[in-house]
Amino acid sequence: MKNILVVDDEENIRELYREEFEEMGYGVTTVADGAQALTKMDATKFDLVTLDMRMPDMDGIETLRKMKEKDKTLPVIICTAYEEYKHDFGSWCSDAYVVKSADTALLRDTVKKILG
Amino acid sequence: MEAIEKRELSILSEISRISNSATDLRDKLQRIVEVVVHGTGREGASVFLLDRPAKNVTLVAAVGLNQETVGKLSFPMGKGIAGWVAEQKVPLALEDPYSDPRFAYIPDSGIERFKSLVAAPIMDEDICLGVIFVLSLSSWQATSSDLTLVTTTANQISGVIKAAQLIENIQERLSELSTIYAIGMALTSTLDLAQLLSLIAKNSAQSLRAQACTIRLTSQAEMEGRKAFAYYTAGGGPLSEIDAQIGLSVSERVTREKRPLLIRDLGADPGLKAFSDGGACSLIGVPLVFRDQLIGVITVYNRQEDRPFTDNDLQFLTTVASSAAVAVENAGMFERMETLATEARNRAQELAILNDIGTAMSMTLNLDRLLRIILTAATMGGSGLGFNRAILLLINERTNTLQGMMGVGPTSWEEAGRAWSEVQSRHQSLIEWIQTGELFEHRDSALNSLARGLRVSLAEPEGVLAMTAMQKKPYNIVNAAADPLVPRDLRETLKVNAFATVPLIAKDRAIGVILVDNMFNQRPITEGDIRFLTMFAHQSALAIENAIIHTNLETMNRDMRALHEQLVQSEKMAALGAMMAEITHEIRNPLVSIGGFTRRLAKKLQQSEDKKYIDIILSEVSRLEGIIHDNLSYIKEVTPNTAETDVAGLLREILMLYEDELTQRRIRVETDFSPAVPKLQLDNQQIKQAVINILKNAMEAMESGGVLTVKTFVTPEPREVAVEFGDTGPGISLKAMNSVFNPYYTTKPRGTGLGLPITNRIIKAHHGRIELRNKETGGALFTIKLPAP
Repeated sequence: MKNILVVDDEENIRELYREEFEEMGYGVTTVADGAQALTKMDATKFDLVTLDMRMPDMDGIETLRKMKEKDKTLPVIICTAYEEYKHDFGSWCSDAYVVKSADTALLRDTVKKILG
Repeated sequence: MEAIEKRELSILSEISRISNSATDLRDKLQRIVEVVVHGTGREGASVFLLDRPAKNVTLVAAVGLNQETVGKLSFPMGKGIAGWVAEQKVPLALEDPYSDPRFAYIPDSGIERFKSLVAAPIMDEDICLGVIFVLSLSSWQATSSDLTLVTTTANQISGVIKAAQLIENIQERLSELSTIYAIGMALTSTLDLAQLLSLIAKNSAQSLRAQACTIRLTSQAEMEGRKAFAYYTAGGGPLSEIDAQIGLSVSERVTREKRPLLIRDLGADPGLKAFSDGGACSLIGVPLVFRDQLIGVITVYNRQEDRPFTDNDLQFLTTVASSAAVAVENAGMFERMETLATEARNRAQELAILNDIGTAMSMTLNLDRLLRIILTAATMGGSGLGFNRAILLLINERTNTLQGMMGVGPTSWEEAGRAWSEVQSRHQSLIEWIQTGELFEHRDSALNSLARGLRVSLAEPEGVLAMTAMQKKPYNIVNAAADPLVPRDLRETLKVNAFATVPLIAKDRAIGVILVDNMFNQRPITEGDIRFLTMFAHQSALAIENAIIHTNLETMNRDMRALHEQLVQSEKMAALGAMMAEITHEIRNPLVSIGGFTRRLAKKLQQSEDKKYIDIILSEVSRLEGIIHDNLSYIKEVTPNTAETDVAGLLREILMLYEDELTQRRIRVETDFSPAVPKLQLDNQQIKQAVINILKNAMEAMESGGVLTVKTFVTPEPREVAVEFGDTGPGISLKAMNSVFNPYYTTKPRGTGLGLPITNRIIKAHHGRIELRNKETGGALFTIKLPAP
């Protein structure tokens, strides 16, 4: 079973994604900030990360950089409410950029595409 | 003997009394022969006089002879008794002259009545002046004392003749002097050259009793253009052709030799023999010399064969010529002064006009008004330049063409007459004219539209207009039809055969051209006109340049203000944008939770009646997300990230994306993509969004289906790629037409009012524009126009 790490400071969003991804048949771990995410990465091997941008303390950009330092091959989907940075980060070092929406179809499609 | 002496004395005393009398020579001689007849007691007496060249003796006084022969009866030297005595210079007494071989009988002379005669020569020293005869009806054998008496009488007559000649000479001299004085007076009486020359000719001819007189002035530079020929004829008629030719020939000779010429007998002159038939017989030519400079020739003609001109006449004419030369030179000088004064006066007037015009031009910095002032000044009589029509062209540096800006002038004869009489009746100055504002009356005249239609390329300057600007020099076209510089179309436009062009030069740079003509009064345009017009054009060019700079400054100022406002606006927008981004982000997260879990709920409540409430929640969440998306898009700065794009391909992609929705809405799509459309540098995503917004708009307009036409093509001028979207909906109201690109304007109950504003911003960021109109067949037509490479 493939494991997905969901990083988001909003609890409701974490819960929504967990339910959606578990329904798709993936193992889901959720954390509320970047530091916890990096710690989790040391303990568990993840196949995919969904990463929020705006978070307290360590923001998404910094977290992304540090994750990539640990594991260059780990796929990361930036999943954010900001749509205006799509150009800037879309192809920078993440594997996908999905604007948060009540309709999670796009997110699910993207995850499916990456994890196969 | 005593009786003879007494008789002799009485004769001599009578003769000396007659000699002192005031009568003329002929009179005196007649009275003398009467005294001789009385004193000698004979019946007849006569006097013959020898003419100057000593060729003939002619009867001048007689008693007892037929009086009609006086002045006519004449013998050549040596012929007849009179001729013989004059030649031999000895007295002769003949008791029976008829038997003498020397006697020559002249019928009807009255001599046949007399039987005997005594003749004696009238001598002055060795020169014979004439012959005196004493005639007797009875046979008379003259004694030596008779001979002595006649000889003494002859001597006495010699004295009388000499005295008379002396007086005549003195009188002649006096008359010449008074003539010269009269001429001198006449010469100072006028300074008009033509009048003066006529006066000299007339006086000279009259004084010399000549039949004609001509004066020719040499064609020196300063005499050029003046009347350099005058003549006088005794009859008052024109100078005969042959005399004119003779005069010309003589003048040439005198000019060449620079000395007076007296020709007594034209027939004997090798150079002039050819003219001897019909023309003058003798003539004098004298040079007019002033300060060693030959300035002309005066010639007098004489047709009387028996009275050729003498050295005396030559002397006289030379005297006249010397004072005439001074007078002619004075007149010439005066004329030059007059010309200079006139020129100075004209210059002063021109300067005054230019000053007026300059003042008028300084009254405005408005280019349109300034051009009208310039052209009005060019066409106004009196205080303007007075041309009939004037056209002004300016150089457009961007297109490198000379472009007609304005034309001022009447369009017909009637209008011309009306305008001119109006100007004349009012006597308004240019400045008054400008201040009354009537300058702007004929703004839409035919000439003005004609002028505005003139357009000449400067890339390859050919015609006179382009040449004027490029060469920076004026052209005076006298015969447009035959002038290779005048293109046919220009000639046909102007409809005149003569016109002039001058360049408008400001700071050594040509900025335009003024064209003027005199279409209506046909006055030829002179070099003076061109000179004045050039000065005027110079002044005009500076004023135009000032106005243009001023206009540019105004435009720049306005642009700066706009730019400043825009900056303030965009700063506000940036701040607003940042705030909006924060707000939408904060809203978006809860929306995702609400919407996300509702969806999950919906899956579980598939068959429930409550599903419709769930659907409402989902639809409203979706709407809220749409509002957030549009707002963010609108606020976001649009910096296109361009790549080479195939427009038709992009359009097909979008249409494919919406294929299902279009079918669902029963909308048929018709495309017409021109293969001529080149690839463009576009931001794919942005253009896609722009097109989608238009597409959505069109779909929503066609509620119950219709036809969507999408068409691309290339426009030539300016070169642009056009993408047309036509629908068959109700079209767009006028009110909406002006507002559809304003943010938050919407006619739809659920629209955000940001779709078309976003499209507009994207297209503008691509340096393009959107046009919107209603088709004649109904429905709206959106056209995106993008600059084509």
